[in-house]
Amino acid sequence: MLGNDIVDLGLAKIQSNWRRKNYLDKIFTAEEQLLISSAKRPDEMVWLLWSMKESAYKIYNRKTGIRNFAPKSLNCTIYPNIDQIKGTVSIDNDTYFTKSDIQLQYIHTIAAPVSSELEEIKVTIYESPNHPSDYKCTKPGCVSHHGQYLALVY
Amino acid sequence: MVLVILTPALFFKNTPMNKEEIIEALKTIVEPYSEEVSALAHIDENTDFINDLKINSANLVDIVLDIEEKFNIEIDNDSMAKMLTVKATTEIIAQKLEANAG
Repeated sequence: MLGNDIVDLGLAKIQSNWRRKNYLDKIFTAEEQLLISSAKRPDEMVWLLWSMKESAYKIYNRKTGIRNFAPKSLNCTIYPNIDQIKGTVSIDNDTYFTKSDIQLQYIHTIAAPVSSELEEIKVTIYESPNHPSDYKCTKPGCVSHHGQYLALVY
Repeated sequence: MVLVILTPALFFKNTPMNKEEIIEALKTIVEPYSEEVSALAHIDENTDFINDLKINSANLVDIVLDIEEKFNIEIDNDSMAKMLTVKATTEIIAQKLEANAG
């Protein structure tokens, strides 16, 4: 089972004001809020953590059948590397492994229940207006769409 | 002789909002976060914020904060977890208003 989530940073900027009072407190744990407040680029950290939570939730939701809005119950840990950002997201007794790609225009995270699976995931990202209309026929393992971007994983 | 004592708490008690009034107020709150004109026009108890109104999940937080401000209530994490539909949200708002009034 795969998860993936893309955040169009341009759209996120106008769509969400995470500096709004109490906003971060509803979504992020104390540790995550510390990562944000100490980050060199806090905007990037907010959406990195958010895409990690979303991509892990997409697996959790399909696995358990539970549908809820409890972002704070998804706990992120980040293990930064030179060229890629790996992390884990834990919820209840499950842990999901994530790998994120931060670009100027977007942040994309893939998630899998087993760490080694991350290396086998094939990612395709389309920018509008070049979204293929028939992408569903290709049977992607997970679909994420935000703003200009459509991200498919196999 | 009948003695009626009006305690301040009784006197200033808010008139509870009924379900329709809560849904109406909720509609005003969610409108700015959805572009689904037809789904917004037909909003009812069965409306799902994500599937029907296509609201971005990051904006669900804004809706929860707007609800807290508008109704002067506090939404705990367990309540927020259920707030994906108009029905669940209306029930939570009604419960919190009742708790505040009592």
